[in-house]
Amino acid sequence: MEILRVENLNFSYPLREEQALTDISFNVKEGEFIVVCGESGCGKTTLLKLIKRELAPCGEKSGTIYYKGIRQEDLDDRTSACKIGFVMQNPENQIVTEKVWHELAFGLENMGLQTETIRRRVGEMASFFGIQNWFRNKTDELSGGQKQILNLASVMVMQPEILILDEPTSQLDPIAASDFINTLYKLNQDMGLTILMTEHRLEEVFPIADRVLVLNKSKVLLFDEPRMVGEKLKNVENNGVSRGLPSAIRIYQGLQNNSACPLTVKEGRECLAKNYTNKIRTLKREKRCLPAAEPAIELKNVWFRYLRESPDIIEDLNLTVKKGEIVCLLGGNGSGKTTLLGVIAGSNRPYRGRVKIFGKNIRKFKGRELYVNGLTLLPQNPQTVFIKETVLDDYRELCKVLDCDQKAIDHRIERIAERLSIGDFLNIHPYDLSGGEQQKAAIGKILLLEPRIILLDEPTKGIDAGYKDQMCTLLKELKDDGITIVIVSHDVEFCAHIADRCGMFFDRTIISFGEPEEFFCNNNFYTTVANRISRTMFDNAITTEDVIELCRMNERDE
Amino acid sequence: MSRFESFHPLVIFLYYVIVLFVTMFTNHPIVLLCALTGGIAFSGTLSTGRQLLSDIGFYLLLFILLSLANPLFTHNGETVLFFMNDNPVTKEAFVYGEFIAIMIIAVIFWSKCLNQVMTTDKVLFLFGRVVPKLSLILAMALRFIPLFKRQAIIINNSQKTMGLYAADNIPDKVKGTVRVFDSLIGWSIENSLETADSMKARGYGLPERSAFSIFSMHRSDLMMFGLMAFFLLLFFTGKHAGLLIFQYYPTLGQINCSGRSVVLYALIALFMFFPSIIEIMEKIKWKYLESKI
Amino acid sequence: MIGFAVLFIVIAVSRIEILSVDEYYLTHIDDIKKDSQVVTVSIRCDTILNNMDKLAPELRDEKYVPRDGIILEETQYVLRPGDTVFDVLNRAVRYNKIHMEYQGERDNVYGSAYIRGINHLYEYSCGHLSGWMYKVNGKYPGYGISKYKLKDRDKVEFVYTCDLGRDVGGSFYSERN
Repeated sequence: MEILRVENLNFSYPLREEQALTDISFNVKEGEFIVVCGESGCGKTTLLKLIKRELAPCGEKSGTIYYKGIRQEDLDDRTSACKIGFVMQNPENQIVTEKVWHELAFGLENMGLQTETIRRRVGEMASFFGIQNWFRNKTDELSGGQKQILNLASVMVMQPEILILDEPTSQLDPIAASDFINTLYKLNQDMGLTILMTEHRLEEVFPIADRVLVLNKSKVLLFDEPRMVGEKLKNVENNGVSRGLPSAIRIYQGLQNNSACPLTVKEGRECLAKNYTNKIRTLKREKRCLPAAEPAIELKNVWFRYLRESPDIIEDLNLTVKKGEIVCLLGGNGSGKTTLLGVIAGSNRPYRGRVKIFGKNIRKFKGRELYVNGLTLLPQNPQTVFIKETVLDDYRELCKVLDCDQKAIDHRIERIAERLSIGDFLNIHPYDLSGGEQQKAAIGKILLLEPRIILLDEPTKGIDAGYKDQMCTLLKELKDDGITIVIVSHDVEFCAHIADRCGMFFDRTIISFGEPEEFFCNNNFYTTVANRISRTMFDNAITTEDVIELCRMNERDE
Repeated sequence: MSRFESFHPLVIFLYYVIVLFVTMFTNHPIVLLCALTGGIAFSGTLSTGRQLLSDIGFYLLLFILLSLANPLFTHNGETVLFFMNDNPVTKEAFVYGEFIAIMIIAVIFWSKCLNQVMTTDKVLFLFGRVVPKLSLILAMALRFIPLFKRQAIIINNSQKTMGLYAADNIPDKVKGTVRVFDSLIGWSIENSLETADSMKARGYGLPERSAFSIFSMHRSDLMMFGLMAFFLLLFFTGKHAGLLIFQYYPTLGQINCSGRSVVLYALIALFMFFPSIIEIMEKIKWKYLESKI
Repeated sequence: MIGFAVLFIVIAVSRIEILSVDEYYLTHIDDIKKDSQVVTVSIRCDTILNNMDKLAPELRDEKYVPRDGIILEETQYVLRPGDTVFDVLNRAVRYNKIHMEYQGERDNVYGSAYIRGINHLYEYSCGHLSGWMYKVNGKYPGYGISKYKLKDRDKVEFVYTCDLGRDVGGSFYSERN
């Protein structure tokens, strides 16, 4: 039975010329798990919001949306609110009340249900999601993953028949994201819930999706099973989607063979084993010859905790970052990586140990000496970097810090805008930019300070594959200019592409620190998917490009 | 969580109202002393003794200040200690001032206890039935206050590492705080749009909103209602019979020690010490049960 | 908190004059000489005797309400130049060790001292229409006692009313007419 049908949907935002959605038509059967993907700006979020009447944006719309055969405009309020559930991207902003139990009951209160009914439904849902242990907690005490599960549960408690999710895992760390997606899968399989979601992290959802809807520049490009999508996309040139596809598919797309498109690690391994030998097991890489550069950052025996009574966050940590290198630090959620960046940046003061920046003890820097032409930190949420109405005004703010006049700073702004190609958004309010654009604008602001060390905290959070690539290129350019970069990230793939050295932060200190090849190939879990696919056959492949290259060298002669 | 906290919110609220009423509308020394000691005892069971002792300095100072204030303004009373600007400063005025001070400090202690016992969801439950929309607004306000505090700190940190207002002088710091505040407002408005969406998506705005609670009435709660009603009855009877009137001016009266009065005093003391008593009884009961395990 | 207390004390001390009990009562009453100007002062509370049921219980004693209602019988005192009714009253009660409480002229809106109570009898001590009033030469001036400057041979009477003045021959309203 068809649960959702979209016919000839066209939409454009007010005052914008280009169409957000052009002639979209598709249908969804009951119980299907549909993934929508596409480049940034292709219209995914607009489409999803239009399906939920309460969230539909204003603009010029034509075409019809049917829910179970009834037109969207004709649905009564209750059905529209209850039967179509919506979970948004940001876990924090969706929560309304102070206590977990109240949040769960919120939707049902709106329905005007009796206390007994609410109690029953809330209890049932809480048990299903495993919330009963933190049922009476305050909502601000929850972790990001827990908050998003709470959001999901508080929508599920209204017993919807179709669940729409807009990039639900983009703000979560990999473990929480994995948990969340598994929960969705369980809901789909055990309760027959129809799911329609967009996601950038396609690695995990592709294998479980029933069908994939690919949008490209406001139009439907493909709507088919994941495997078929993987195969067909091979033939479409220059589509922004391919960069975000799972590693197995990307490897497949880079090669020519007759196998079906693999989706999972297991299938990937089988595909490789079937089609390629492993006579040549290692890839020759030029030794990255970093001259014995002087250290830019030195941490010796650093111990840190926030309060006297709280436990240590950093214990006896030693780290040396050489000038001009890119260092990535990986580690689980809440392990203290952000705190470590704070220590390096000088905002957290260790109670024992020494921090030296370019050979000078960090405490000896006065006032803003450290931050101008020295060290800067880009925090996790780029929104906190901006305080003015437009990006340009914000950049000009910095002339106070740099003690230079308007003209000089305008000159610098021009150069940076050109380099990052952000000239278009200088006059836009920072909050109106998309995730990737905000990130770029924030980096632009930092670059105005002409830093020699840049610290990045989770730079790829919520960013799509296209912008990630752009950031990779940018960071490599900055490295060529001699800037030292330290990145803290969960994103294993990103680190594999860009790092000179990688370290793992665990149990209050850095364990295992070394070059990416050594680092990833020795890890079983904290490693790239490409590595996991190829490790039985090849020794030192880390990225998909590595795997593709090795395979090409090992073509099996039929 | 103490035994007293596990009562139904309505019970807790009514108890507090009765205690306040009794304290504020009698000026009898024994009643006020009971109220004060009851409040201190309850406070003691809720927090540790050390915290209590650390505040003692403050309360002593408050006591002295308040009890000195009365003789400065009221000059009734036969026993004159000295004359100030031709007005007599009398012992009776001092004593009255002391007992008013005791009353005020007792109210402070009881309010502290109430603050700890009546958590926000209990308050919301009590008033949510009456005005559901208001209780939701309160719930949201309570959520946003700690959220904003945290966000302010995050914004502050990220601005610091950009070099803005890193100089140590005061005008810079003030400007910096204003900037952070600005940013916080913008951020909160922007992000609350999403919250509004989330609320709408779950059907907020539909007519007939109900209010959910996780509190249900138990037998012990009903018993408490009965006990409080009984106490009120006896209290008013005693008050009507004039047992709770105490004379301060022009001379200090005598504390009535008749049988009936003593019974009334004991009753009031019991009422005031009730939460502390049940707490201690619970502790004893647990020690006993644990020793059997 | 401590700062405020100190501030309070400092301000208070600068305006306050403290006397011990003995010092206070050791007041000098001028001797009446042939050529001195004199005034007569009396304090009565007869009206209470007719309204004993309304009297506050703690005041039901000869000490506070004498059997004849006379707290201070008519006595002559020397009139010092510039004396107001208040100055004379103050001297009289001080000499006779009669309790009096007043509110200073700086502390109220009338700009005049206000007598709160004499001999522990206060406003409302005998019902809600009761309080102190004063007459000079048989008439109620109707304004504050610090403002009435006395002349030679004036007769000042302080009377306690239980009925807003109607039972002592003068009331707020009748005076106006």
